[in-house]
Formats: sequence, structure tokens, C-alpha cells
Amino acid sequence: MNILHEAQEKHGYLSEHILKQIAIDQDIPIARLYGVVKFYTMFHTEPQGKYVIEFCGSPSCVLADGTALEKFLEGELGVKIGGTTKDGMFSLYKTSCIGCCDEAPAMLVNGEPHTKLTVERLTALLKKLKEAHADKKVKKK
Amino acid sequence: MNACAEGQGWKRSGNMQILRQTNMEALEKARTLGPDGVLELLEKKGLEGRGGAAFSTARKWRASRDAPADERFVVCNADEGEPGTFKDKFIIRHNAETVVEGLLIAAYVVGAKRCFIYLCGEYDYLRPRLQQQADDMLARTKMEDVTIEIVRGAGAYVCGEATALLQSIQGFRGTPMQKPPHPTSCGLWGKPTVINNVETLTCAAQAVLFDDWNPALRLFSLSGNIKNPGVYEFPLGVKMSTVIDVAQPKKKLKAMSFGCFGGIMPVDENMAITPEAICVEKCHHGAYSIIFMDETVNVVDISYSIAKFYTYESCGKCTPCREGTIRILNLLKKILNGKGVKKDLQVLAELALHIQETALCGLGQTCGNHVLTSLQHFPADYDHYLKKGAKS
Amino acid sequence: MKITLNGKEMEADGDKSLLDICRENGINVPTLCYHASLFPEARCRVCLVEMDGKLVTSCSTKPREGASIITNNEHVMKARKLNMELMLPEPACKREDDMEVCGIYEEVGMRTARFASIKEYKPDLGAAVIRDNNKCINCGRCVRVCADIQGVYAIDFASRAHNEHVTPYFEKNLADVACIRCGQCILNCPVGAISERSHIDEVVAALDDKEKHVVVQVAPSIRAALGELFGMPAGTLVTGKTVAALRKCGFDKVFDVDLGADITIMEEASELLNRISNGGKLPMITTCCPGWILMMEFFYHDLISNMSTCRSPHEMLGMLIKTYYAKKAGIDPKKIVVVSIMPCTAKKFESTRPELETGVDYVLTTRELGRLVKMRKVDFASLPDEEFDPALGISTGAGVIFGATGGVMEAALRTAHFLATGKELEKLEVNEIRGMKGIKEGKMMLGGKEVRFACAHGGANARRLMEQKDKYHFIEIMACPGGCIGGGGQPIYRDPEVLRKRTEAIYSADRASKLRRSHENPVVKQIYKEMLGAPLSEKAEELLHTHYVKRDRF
Repeated sequence: MNILHEAQEKHGYLSEHILKQIAIDQDIPIARLYGVVKFYTMFHTEPQGKYVIEFCGSPSCVLADGTALEKFLEGELGVKIGGTTKDGMFSLYKTSCIGCCDEAPAMLVNGEPHTKLTVERLTALLKKLKEAHADKKVKKK
Repeated sequence: MNACAEGQGWKRSGNMQILRQTNMEALEKARTLGPDGVLELLEKKGLEGRGGAAFSTARKWRASRDAPADERFVVCNADEGEPGTFKDKFIIRHNAETVVEGLLIAAYVVGAKRCFIYLCGEYDYLRPRLQQQADDMLARTKMEDVTIEIVRGAGAYVCGEATALLQSIQGFRGTPMQKPPHPTSCGLWGKPTVINNVETLTCAAQAVLFDDWNPALRLFSLSGNIKNPGVYEFPLGVKMSTVIDVAQPKKKLKAMSFGCFGGIMPVDENMAITPEAICVEKCHHGAYSIIFMDETVNVVDISYSIAKFYTYESCGKCTPCREGTIRILNLLKKILNGKGVKKDLQVLAELALHIQETALCGLGQTCGNHVLTSLQHFPADYDHYLKKGAKS
Repeated sequence: MKITLNGKEMEADGDKSLLDICRENGINVPTLCYHASLFPEARCRVCLVEMDGKLVTSCSTKPREGASIITNNEHVMKARKLNMELMLPEPACKREDDMEVCGIYEEVGMRTARFASIKEYKPDLGAAVIRDNNKCINCGRCVRVCADIQGVYAIDFASRAHNEHVTPYFEKNLADVACIRCGQCILNCPVGAISERSHIDEVVAALDDKEKHVVVQVAPSIRAALGELFGMPAGTLVTGKTVAALRKCGFDKVFDVDLGADITIMEEASELLNRISNGGKLPMITTCCPGWILMMEFFYHDLISNMSTCRSPHEMLGMLIKTYYAKKAGIDPKKIVVVSIMPCTAKKFESTRPELETGVDYVLTTRELGRLVKMRKVDFASLPDEEFDPALGISTGAGVIFGATGGVMEAALRTAHFLATGKELEKLEVNEIRGMKGIKEGKMMLGGKEVRFACAHGGANARRLMEQKDKYHFIEIMACPGGCIGGGGQPIYRDPEVLRKRTEAIYSADRASKLRRSHENPVVKQIYKEMLGAPLSEKAEELLHTHYVKRDRF
């Protein structure tokens, strides 16, 4: 599991090429390795956005009006659950409970929890993330 | 009655038993008592698993210790995934040292060298500190050759099931395996393996060290339509009214669900929260996570989100769960869209009961509880949607 | 221990599964994912029985002391039926072959399915093996047979919950991954979700084409198994009926692959002795099994020079049909269509190999022949026995034993001994390499030298033998368990006894043969005299030998 996590962190996603390499290194049949990767929702075999958003859809978050916020997020980003925005910034997923039920509704962004979400907080967060990325780009130049 | 709220900023309360630190002294005491001594002590104190199954911890450790083998393993199940449950996260954040100490005591008693902590992917941000705690404690301990590896989960609720967790550690798909054989005799790589919940290991260390350790205290994860959601510590037998007082519902409470798996039952202020009382309502207490629903909620909507949860998380191995969960979801969708008929409720119940009776693992065996209990206790909520359809 | 089974008190072995106990007592329990050679996974949940009121899967559950087991009450029947409804929403019994699942529909009394199918998968089409996940019941047999029994691991489950499906890595087609086309997955699929790519249409088109001279050649394994498709018990030798049926289907000539096998032996025995006396690469490994050839090409690149350069019997005979026979019969080879009836799905792939393209045109499996015979409304069981066409139809016992594991080796040794010493083997049967043991070995003196040999059948056993290969001079590998009589194109079987019975039929055909050594075959002698010269001659190399390639594992 850890090998797959580390490879995904290093390369952004688990491409066919990366998995072939792991299959050779670990002496595992590639069919089996692919089966393992596809079992777990946090492993991705396609390129992901800069920010992977996992929005909780479990009962406590639903009770905190999570469904409406989910729709709002889809609208703001212009992408449906499971998709990546055209500018490659965000990938949006629905996830099962992330253990933030007492601060619902909640989501993970690149593994970091963001809780007590509201339309305002979401809007601010998305703006902040876009700006942070733009800054990085500027700095690189 | 000690109770503490986990509000903003994660304030701790020094009163909670679960937060008492053992500072390596429990491990030392364990060493002086010897493995048999520890087992006797834990049996006397009546320590039961806190992951939901409530199995005697001493019995589990004893079974692994006595199973003939040249190698044994102990695993901390930190794959907290049951919706509405966040007590293990609370413990890892505020008392990780004691968890690790409990793990090392288990390793000592059972005779294991390699220890694992399986941490769910959703809690990966807790890993750096947890890794640090584990490394520090290992450095301080005099146990030779003992290692602690943190294995990272990747978003599969079913990996909280013991045999599925072991499959995942071994690099396979996290599908549960039939029992027998039980992990205590045949677990990781065929060797005896002890798997304990985070809370159980914490209590194990505390039970060993503190004479006044109270086995009746449990951590409750409260969430839903309440003003004070959080982790609370109550003794078993606490009255529902006390819990409600602390939780502070926003409106009149209607129903409570024990996670997704335990079932949905009406809120009875006079009920004393015990396993038996909960069982009477055909529910299961699990790890005492309670999701509260008030009178503005139609239980069928929540049932739908629970059904959706199961269609994501079913591992897919056995026919009834793999095929049954999606069929239940489709039926609920049909009902919510106003197209349901009375017969659909019969089929729902039939499917739920069937999966319960014929599924391979605990996920399948409990995934129908929400359907059966909501049909039994809240038929009016279903009728509401059926009538909708009849009109159009 | 004491148990009560359907009301009857009895003693039972506490170490046996409930399924075994029921079967031993003549009680039928339906199973789908259960496999006799593999540890039970209890996926399908159809083998349910009640133990002390609780439903358990009998394949994976052992009895408790004093338990009461019931296999036939309403509780059990309803549960089995609902699992069947859930796993296969639409009864799939449209395929001509008898599928295991059809029998179970009857047993559980399933008439209609209440739940619509939710699967939407693209079929995996290839030259040899095709898969349709829409029919799959996720029993997992194909996965485990490919991984554990064949040692190939081309497929596994991917995704979760209702999206769980069987696939090669990255959803590729079998044709694009390291699959050896052995077809063992087809044999083990209880619902026909995996089957062979059918060439019946092409063959029928050729038969209907008046311009074409359609020649068919029959593998040794067919005569030991075809009868099963027409209700005959396993192990009935139906050589004569097979020939008659093929003539009734419209084939112009019916030849015997066993003759091709005899020629293979002439070449291969000579090759072996050549390598032994001239310091050639050893061990030499047989190459009549295209599944094994693929396995070597994917996984054992360093063994390329160990492989015999001989083509497989039907490819050798295919070439001779289009050269030797065409000349003799005065027929334009371009008008000849060669069809092989094979117990093998890998041979479908083999006939598409570029270096073999001019030989065999189409390969039909035993199962396809059964369908063709039924299509033509031939009453197989009532056919009189007929003989192969003599031009290329005379064969020896050595040729027929090619169908069994160890048979190629034994046939080769019978001739190698003669070629090396000038004397015939006193005992023709080389019993050390007969039988169902995974790896068999033996040794023999050939021309003053001790030659050690070994045989393996089933891919996993082949892999094990490869780790020990340097102990031997000569190795035979059959990719399918049992050898070709257990091939991926043979009638579907569940009881391993069937393999033993087919093998016994093969060996009885050998015993009944007038000629039992390949070098005694008069047609073989004639072909060498008139055309090939001698084994390993230039002409022989051109027509009867081949080369191999290295393929990427992925």
C-alpha cells in the first residue's frame, strides 16, 4: 500500500508506466497490481488536478446540508463528481466518511481536512487555492 | 459522569479517562506482571474490544499467544471508517502515546516482533505525528527487534474489517475472507495475528496501569442535527436524556442511527443506553456513534445516503452484497422519485434480510439494518414518498 | 462427530466441508464458484445449507458437533434462488453447450428474474479467446485457474462493489497482454462468459464454396472426448464416428493429425540425438504446445535456444497437405483449405503466426465440431465407423498418445531409442511419465548415454519444472492440466476423473494399434523417400521447422 501511495505522490498519479515499474520491482503480476490499485478509491490511474477534492457524502454531512454544498461546488468548478476541471486545477470526488462528522459538512483537499463548510468558506477557499497556484507559477518564472 | 465536548480548536478535558497518559509505565508494569499476569488482569478488568464487536481482549491475545507458530503479529486497526465515528481520531490526536504503548504491550504479551498500525487514508494528515510518536516510543523501550510500521489505507471502508485489513497489509485487494480460520490463529502471512481497535489498545494500557480504570466508560461520537457534536465519554447505562442534554438538539429529535451499520431507531429519552436495550429495537451499538435526526428529516432520505455508502464500499466478492446493495439503492431511488409502490417495500425488506443472512462478512451482514429498522420504526416516512407517487 | 443431516443422524468427519459430506451421502448441493483443486472462496453463495438454523456456505464450512444440517427446506431454497436471481438477471442458457449454470437454474426453480441487469461492459474479442463481462457472475474461477493452476496471472478482479469485474491490466484485451491462450479459463467458466473465438462460419463458407478442396485433420484428443458432446460416457473412443461425421459435414478429405505427430517424432527424436551427440543446447524442450510456446515467449526469453525447432503436428501436416498431398492429388494448393480439429484454443492463435500462415487455415475446437455436427443435423451416435483417408491417414500408437501428458515424450523415446541403438525398446510403455502427477521424470539409456527426461502439465507445474530444468536432457511441457485431452477446446468437465478416462481411451487406442512406433509408419517413410529426404534435411527445415520470438510481458 505504502509503495503505491509514495509512487502516486511522486508522480501525481499511477500511470501504466509507473505500475509496470512497480510490478517489475516487486515481482508482482501486473494484472494483480492493477486489480489492487482499482480497488481503492484514493489511487488514481489518470492524471489528477493540482488539488484533489474529496467531498464527504455520508449521513452526518448530508444532515448538515452537504448535498446542497456539493451541488454548489460542482457549479463553481464547472465539473461533475468524478471529473477534473479543464484547467487541470481541481479534481472533484465524493467520498465516504472522513471522520469530521462533528464539524460537518467537510471535505479533504489533497488529504487535508476542511470542515464546517459553507458557501462563503468554499468560495474563499477556492479563491485562495487558485491564487496560491498562480503565485507559484509567477515565482517559477 | 465525565463528559467532555470536542468543540472548535480541539480542546481537551483533563477529566476524560481515555486521555489519561501512561508514559511507558504501563509497559513496565506489564513486564513485571509477565504475559500471563497481564492476561489475568485484563480478564479481571473485563476489557472488551471497542471496534464494535466487543470481544474479550484477553481472550483474543491468549488465543494468538497459544496458537503454535514461529512468528506472530499485532495490528492496530486505525481504519476508522464507520460514518459518524471519529473517536479514534480524537484519541490519535490527543493520546497517541498511550495507543502505541497498548500496541507494544500486546506485542509483549502475544510474543510479536512486528507491529502494524493500519491508518485509513482519510486520516493520513495524522500520520507524521503518529509516526513520530511510534519512533520515539520504540527508541525509549527496551524491546529488542520490535518494529512498528504504519500501513496507509486508501479509501476502502471494508478494510476496517479484520480479515480485509490483513489482506490489504499483504498487498492484496481488501476483500474479507471467510472465518474460520480466524486471524488469531491464521492472519498475516498465515501466522497468528491480533487486531485491536485504537480505543481498545489505549484502554489496555490504562487498564494495566491504573487500578481505578473503569471498564464501563465508553467513547460516544455524537453528530447530526445537534448543536454540540463531538466525542463524549459516558458510562454504559447512561440515560438517553443525559446524552441529549449534552448534545443539544436543534429541534425535536426523531431518530438516531448507529453509524450506517447499526440501524435506525426512534429516540427514547428514558432509555438507558445498553447493548441489550439497543438490541430490543433490532439495532446494534457498534462503537457508539450516534447520528441524530430531528423532525425535519425524512428517514428515507438518510436511508438513501446510507444505501449509497454501501454501494461504494461493498468489496464485491460475494453475490448478495455486491448485487443486493445496488438493487436496494435503485429501489430507494425509485421510491424517492415518487415512483415507488407498496410491493417495492416488500422487495426492499426481502433483499435486506437476504443479504444479512447470506453475506460473507460483517459489512454485508449489517448493510441491510438501516432498511429493516427504518421500515419497522418509520413506516410513515416511506408512506410519504409512496403517496407522492400515487398522486402523480 | 455426530450430526443430523436432513433429519438423519450420522457420524461425520469433522475435517470435511459440509459440501463434501452432503455429496458423500448422495445429497446434491448446487455450486458455481467451487473448484475441486482450489481452496474455496465462498463467493457465489449458492451452495447454502442451513446449520442449526443459520445459512452457511457448505463449501467453506465444517460441521459443528451435534449440528443439525438441512439442505432442502424453504429457507435454503429461497436463499439459493435469490442469489441466482441477483447474480444472473437474465437466464443466459442460449449457448449451445451445456453450461453448468443452466442445470442450477433448474435446481433452484428459477423461471423469471426480477432484477434487470446493470452491467455494461465492452466484450473482449481476440483471435482465440473472447470474453463478455456482461455474462460474468464474478465467481473468480477464471482468475484463480489462470493464476494458481496455469501460473500466468493474465486477469484479476478490478474495481469494487457492483463494478467489480474481471480484466487484464488497464482494461486491455487478452490479445494485448501476456495471455497464453490456453483456454483453461473457458473450461472453468460456469456461465460461458468466456469462450473461444468461433471459426465455424469461415469453415462453413469454405465447405459451401465449390471451388475449394476442404481438408480436415483430427487431433488425437478429439477421438477420446467428442462422444461426450453426444451423451456418451467420458472415455468412449469414437475415432470411426468422428471420421464419418466429418465426411457427412462435407469435408473432402479427412486426415489424421496422428500422422503429423509421427513426422514430428521423426524430426524431434533426430533433433534430440543431434543435440546430445554434437553438444547442442540442452535440455531440449518440446514445442507442440502453442500455449507453452507463448509462455516461453512471454516469460522465459532465455529458453529460446532450448526449444525444439519442430512445428506442432498439425502445422507439419498442414504444410505437407499443401505440398506433398497437393502434388500427389493434382490439386492446386491455393484451392486447398486446411481445417484442424483441435482440443486447443491456443492453436487458433498459432495458425495466425506469420511464419505459419501458409499451413493450417482454420482451427476448430472439439466443442465447435460438436456444434457443426449438430448444425448439419448429423446423428452422431448412430454413425458407422469409417476410416481416415489413406493418403495422409495412416498413423501409429506413438502418434495417438500425443494427446496425453507424457505422450509426446514417450513417442519420441520409442523412436529415439531405435535411431540411437538400431534396436527397438523392449517395453514400449514408459510408465514413469504417464499419469496425472504434475511433474514426472525418468531416465533411459540411448546409445550408451543416460538420458534424463521430465514432463510437466499445467502452467504452474511448467514453471516449477523450469526451475529444475538443468537436471534433464529432454523436457515435455503441456500447458493444460492432463495434457491435450484436458485442453481449452475440449468438452467442459468438472470431475477430474473425466481426464483420467480420456487418457485411458488414448492409451487403449495405442495398445490396439497395429503399428506403435512412428518410424514404422509406411506413409511417413514414403514422404521422406519422395520429398523430404531425411529428418532435419534442408527441405524438412523449410517445411517442418520454425522459429520463435521474444514478446514483452507487458
